[in-house]
Amino acid sequence: MRLEIGNFPVREVRFGETTAYSNGILTINKEEALKVVMEDEHITEADLVIACPGDPVRIVPVKEAIEPRVKVSGGTMFPGVTNELVPVGWGRTHALKGVDVLVVGKHWGGFQDGLIDMSGPGAKHTFYSSLKHICLVADTDEEFERYEQQKKNHALRWAGHRLAEYIATCVKDLEPETLEVYELPPITQRSPEVNALPGVVYVMQLDSQMEEDGYNALVYGWDSNHMLPTFMHPNEVLDGAIVSGSFMPCSSKFSTYCHQNNPTIKRLYQEHGKTINFLGVIMSNLNVNLEEKTRSALFVAQIAKSLGAVGAIVAEEGYGNPDVDFIKCIVALEEAGIKTVGITNECTGRDGRSQPLVALDERADALVTTGNVSELIELPPMPIVIGELEALARDGLSGGWEGCVRPDGSIIMENNAMFCGDTICGFSRKRMAEF
Amino acid sequence: MKKGILYINQFFGQIGGEEMADYEPEIREGLVGPATFLQQQLKDIEITHTIICGDNFMGSRKEEAVQRIMGFLQDKEIDIFFAGPAFRAGRYGVACGTICHEVNQKLNIPAITSMNEENPGVEMFRYTDIYIFKGGKSAAQMKEDIKAMARFANKLVHGEPLLPAAEEGYFGRGKRHEIYPEDGPMAADRVVDMLLKKLRGEPFQTELPMPKTERIPIAPPIKDLSRATIALVTSGGIVPHENPDRIQSASATRWGKYDIAGMDSLSPEIFKTIHAGYDPNAANEDPNRVVPLDALRAYEKEGKIGKVYDYFYTTVGTGTTQGEAARMGREIARELLEAGVDGVILTST
Amino acid sequence: MVKEIEKTGLPVVHMCNLVPISLTVGTNRIVPTISIPYPLGDPAAPQEEQWKLRYHRVGVALDALAADVKEQTVFKVKI
Repeated sequence: MRLEIGNFPVREVRFGETTAYSNGILTINKEEALKVVMEDEHITEADLVIACPGDPVRIVPVKEAIEPRVKVSGGTMFPGVTNELVPVGWGRTHALKGVDVLVVGKHWGGFQDGLIDMSGPGAKHTFYSSLKHICLVADTDEEFERYEQQKKNHALRWAGHRLAEYIATCVKDLEPETLEVYELPPITQRSPEVNALPGVVYVMQLDSQMEEDGYNALVYGWDSNHMLPTFMHPNEVLDGAIVSGSFMPCSSKFSTYCHQNNPTIKRLYQEHGKTINFLGVIMSNLNVNLEEKTRSALFVAQIAKSLGAVGAIVAEEGYGNPDVDFIKCIVALEEAGIKTVGITNECTGRDGRSQPLVALDERADALVTTGNVSELIELPPMPIVIGELEALARDGLSGGWEGCVRPDGSIIMENNAMFCGDTICGFSRKRMAEF
Repeated sequence: MKKGILYINQFFGQIGGEEMADYEPEIREGLVGPATFLQQQLKDIEITHTIICGDNFMGSRKEEAVQRIMGFLQDKEIDIFFAGPAFRAGRYGVACGTICHEVNQKLNIPAITSMNEENPGVEMFRYTDIYIFKGGKSAAQMKEDIKAMARFANKLVHGEPLLPAAEEGYFGRGKRHEIYPEDGPMAADRVVDMLLKKLRGEPFQTELPMPKTERIPIAPPIKDLSRATIALVTSGGIVPHENPDRIQSASATRWGKYDIAGMDSLSPEIFKTIHAGYDPNAANEDPNRVVPLDALRAYEKEGKIGKVYDYFYTTVGTGTTQGEAARMGREIARELLEAGVDGVILTST
Repeated sequence: MVKEIEKTGLPVVHMCNLVPISLTVGTNRIVPTISIPYPLGDPAAPQEEQWKLRYHRVGVALDALAADVKEQTVFKVKI
């Protein structure tokens, strides 16, 4: 399967008469863009606001990030979600780089939403302070969940996906500045040199712990709670087959942007044919009971073994009881003779002294960790707030609490509410150390 | 100028050797023994006093020694405390750890000491909030060890950012926190590089060494269930609808106890869950699925147990630190013990 | 929490679904439950079956409190 991603780096975003891209400048016709947003009658009000790295801006409650992209050939963007259900991961996709559509609640947040500081001491806490954001700031009439802590954020998230595609449509017929090619032939049709290299799989454990539909990460539109681990081509992940969920505490989350740009997949691609034979992705999930956790681990190990993998990376989109899925999966792979490395975050508590993962095993002897969900973060006031700051304290964000927003606008919060703060997909430079 | 005080034993206090190890604690104004070199290394910190105490006095009459030393400190202005260095001297190391820990806890000021890795004081005190620097084997390393303590003290009082334990040179205290190396490798590169090493059979360093878990002696069984009072405790966040104790939905620091005397089951009209870590529908529809009062009542009626305790205890288990969970557990356990409860069923979600 | 209660000498039985977590923490008496969101009663099952399961497992938990165990024990349940 061969996927070409044509890159259009964005140096500046501005509003103007027509939505267009030229010489690194992305211009958006706000009225036309908002029409695409308002296609969903549940959206009651919406605005677009631009925020750039270094701006004195705090954004909260952030629900989702999407890289603006359009399919030039081969499939649709977000199949089974906002577009027809067809295979992706092949053909040509055009992408606006260095920029995202950021979905922000105008008022209301929830457990799964997060915060981004674009400058100051808060900026180092998330990779997302380094992107230019086209913030879709909106509200909906989804009264059933307005005061619920857990929100599906359906209307807003889907509007973000439509908007991202609408914006990128302006580069559909243009020549990209650079072209990335992702190509992996079928496993049985690789050269003897490649086949002689150690086979490696990347196992993704998607956030899928809500039994009710509408909260979990989607695989071609299918709720990842309702699936058994399955084999996927990495290009499918990079090309919009996976849409982020709306449940996990925010710092542990993979946004849709994280999937589209997954740096671990990209690095495995770089190693392919040199040091490893990258076999592909085993798409797995995080479950709510022991039997389901065990079953998923068993399927992952079986698929990996059948593919001839001798090495694996397991990435966990979550913490707490999902650590059981994570450790079980690593142990199952190790028991199948597959050398495994895990990547996750920790929950060592505000004092740093809690057991980092709730389940442990000596066979999980190679782990990379990207943050402490309960690290306490105190930040000064920020001149500009996009969204509503009080949401952090009022709406049950996983890292906020009553009183955590002070009258002067300064805040104290747990990393839990930092938008994709731990980027377990691999962006994180942050790590853990003993003090 | 900040004020500091140094603790040393009878030997370094120039009182005498083993024969003087019972020397009573005393405090002297100014610098004694190693205090002079320590003072030379410090910036903006004045060592105002030196405390001397015999190793055996501290070892065999610990409470008295600690009490007397804390008494010395009562009227002193003090911002930072030092002890040692103790090298491999076991009794001295334990004494340094003991007094540093006491001062740190009671006066809430930083306490710094230094010991060799072989010193039993290291394992006894490294997981407290004091700093134990990695010291030499013998007094030949005195200057180096004091320099390391002083360097760190200078950083502390000047409010400079502190590096992880390994880089500062003290024994890690089991506190894992985030660091933000700006130019450090991305996690994606770290994880792939670690895998490549593991595949090649090369040595690699996990970023999360497995911690040891503490084992608790098994509590003796209930002898006669039919006369026992059984209490229900849950981390599943079941509370009265109005959540009167305002227990947090995640990272809880509060717990509640609610009267269930006379109730045959937990009514969804009265109780619900506020736990944010799981799908609440099933628990809200029937809270007995999380706190099985109905079943326990049935056993009470049958006479299998003597009594269901009149209150159930509740908190939220998601994101809650072990420290907080342990504190809440102790508070709840104390009440249960005082109430004459014989056994506990703790349910988790 | 389980450990702090047990430290006082009170016997405590942990009813939980994620047995590996409880074992890692060091709990001594464990009775498995059926899931995280509904430990003792599957909403999809008839009331009668939910009750039977809950009654059975709470009974096992009570017996666990009266059992003289020598090591970490996960008690077997029938339904």
